[in-house]
Amino acid sequence: MPATGAPRVNSLALLILPSALLFALFFFLPIGLMAVMSVLTGNPVVMPNVGFTTKHYARMGNDSYYLEVIWTTIRIGLWTTLAALVIGYPLAHWMARIKSRTGHALLLMAVLAPMLTGIVVRTFAWMTLLSDKGVINQILTSLGLITKPLQLMYNETGIIIGLVHIYVPFMVLTLTGVIGRIDERLEQAAENLGASPWRAFLEVTLPLSLPGILAGSLLVFALAISAYVTPILLGGFQIMTLPILIYQQISANFNVGFAAALGMVLLIISLSLVVAYNHVLGLVSGQRELQ
Amino acid sequence: MTSLAPGSQPPRAAPIDLATAPAVRSKPSPLRWGRRLYLAANSVILVFLLAPIAIVIVFALNPTPFIQFPPVGVSLRWFEKFFASRDFMHALLFSLEVAAMTTVAATVLGASAALAIARGNLPGSRLIVATMLSPLMLPAILTGLALFQSYVLLDVGRPLWGLVAGHTLVTIPYVVRTTLAVLHNFDVRLEEAAQNLGASPARTFFEVTLPLVKPGVLAGAIFAFIVSFDQFPVSLFLVSPGSETLPITLFNYLKFDLDGTIGAASVVSILLAFIVVIALDRTVGLRSYVKL
Repeated sequence: MPATGAPRVNSLALLILPSALLFALFFFLPIGLMAVMSVLTGNPVVMPNVGFTTKHYARMGNDSYYLEVIWTTIRIGLWTTLAALVIGYPLAHWMARIKSRTGHALLLMAVLAPMLTGIVVRTFAWMTLLSDKGVINQILTSLGLITKPLQLMYNETGIIIGLVHIYVPFMVLTLTGVIGRIDERLEQAAENLGASPWRAFLEVTLPLSLPGILAGSLLVFALAISAYVTPILLGGFQIMTLPILIYQQISANFNVGFAAALGMVLLIISLSLVVAYNHVLGLVSGQRELQ
Repeated sequence: MTSLAPGSQPPRAAPIDLATAPAVRSKPSPLRWGRRLYLAANSVILVFLLAPIAIVIVFALNPTPFIQFPPVGVSLRWFEKFFASRDFMHALLFSLEVAAMTTVAATVLGASAALAIARGNLPGSRLIVATMLSPLMLPAILTGLALFQSYVLLDVGRPLWGLVAGHTLVTIPYVVRTTLAVLHNFDVRLEEAAQNLGASPARTFFEVTLPLVKPGVLAGAIFAFIVSFDQFPVSLFLVSPGSETLPITLFNYLKFDLDGTIGAASVVSILLAFIVVIALDRTVGLRSYVKL
């Protein structure tokens, strides 16, 4: 209900309708249908007598293989998020604090360039770098540092390296905005009061950038757990994650119901994260209001 | 080592001198070292970000049919193979077509939604914004899966409009975000001034609001184009075997071949992306890009 004195809804509000229709028909309805499909015994269009079932969820819960796939997906997502934060923060800080306009533009180009290069292309780049006969192994061998090639891909490490490279720009852009809005004079004040630059950073800048850290981490985690190309190519079909399993259920088995149930699990993981994020953000900003 | 440590302790005067003298001289030293470490760490990060792109370009120009390092020469044979390939050309054109349609749809829908949110005094506008941005937060592969299942249930096959609708859904958030950012930043008093000077609401809208919003809409449109052109997870479920987008075609090729054609295709898409970034810089300036 609008508060008294609030401006009245005007005709511009009608402009929301086309998007509302798109979201209703192509977002909420399909996801609702997916939820329904995950508890049906079959496809209601082809099969006349379908019933409700929990067998798809029971299959996941009873088989440790599927639980392991879910945990692998979450684990890869967590490591990717952590690494993206550690790598993205210094760069975001530099971008937010750099004085020269040219310097800023160059840094921005460096961050945007990989983002614009495309997921498949960048995964290909990492394959040429990390494979047994890849650039890194060839250089290390010719330097005489190793005799046997290092196993850099076809494992989780390779997947995480590739994913971090793909999603670190999202972290940097999110963090830059937040760090840029922190008043630099706060840091200077802390230093004038005797804090070392490091301590001023730890006690002033870092806590104030927490909303950006949370937002960036949420974004990177959501992207990492839904990645398909990078885990399949850098994992060499050795590592199974939820998106790979979902696609496999559709393309190889055409098991739409089970794919829908797996999709619901991925949806629930993402949604609970968004809820947790809003809760933590509420706590963080609540604390600041008290101070 | 062991004789030095105890030896330096008993004579009191000398160590104090040694401790204080360098401390005074190198007082900015920890700061300088911190600064060096900071710049060194950032340089390593920049190398990590950019090295893969450099490597792709090297392999695109390398004549050998397998990945060899260091490169043995320069050749354009992979570019010839890429441009001569019907599959790749078909995919490239199809991707451009889908991205163009998506950009128009996402820009029109996203910009009007942003106007409605910022100027329509809608109740619950925060919730509406959160909803409009939600395709960013939900795994895109779910959007693809859910749409695929709906199309199967409705028995419509895999139509082009179905693919464009999926792409529009995941690109709308970018347009909404950039347009809203511009709408929130500009002064409402400009619109009020126009109305006070006798302009009708419609005239105010077309002559004041719309020109001021243009940079945000344009930035969003360019973003939508790039995201759609590179879209993988939504397309994965929604393309039909005959007409696949470039990322899907590249992915299928990569599963079996690791030669320079991918490098050439990559260089072509990198060039396309750079043209887009330069267009972005010329039209709205890169700075407004980050302040989203």
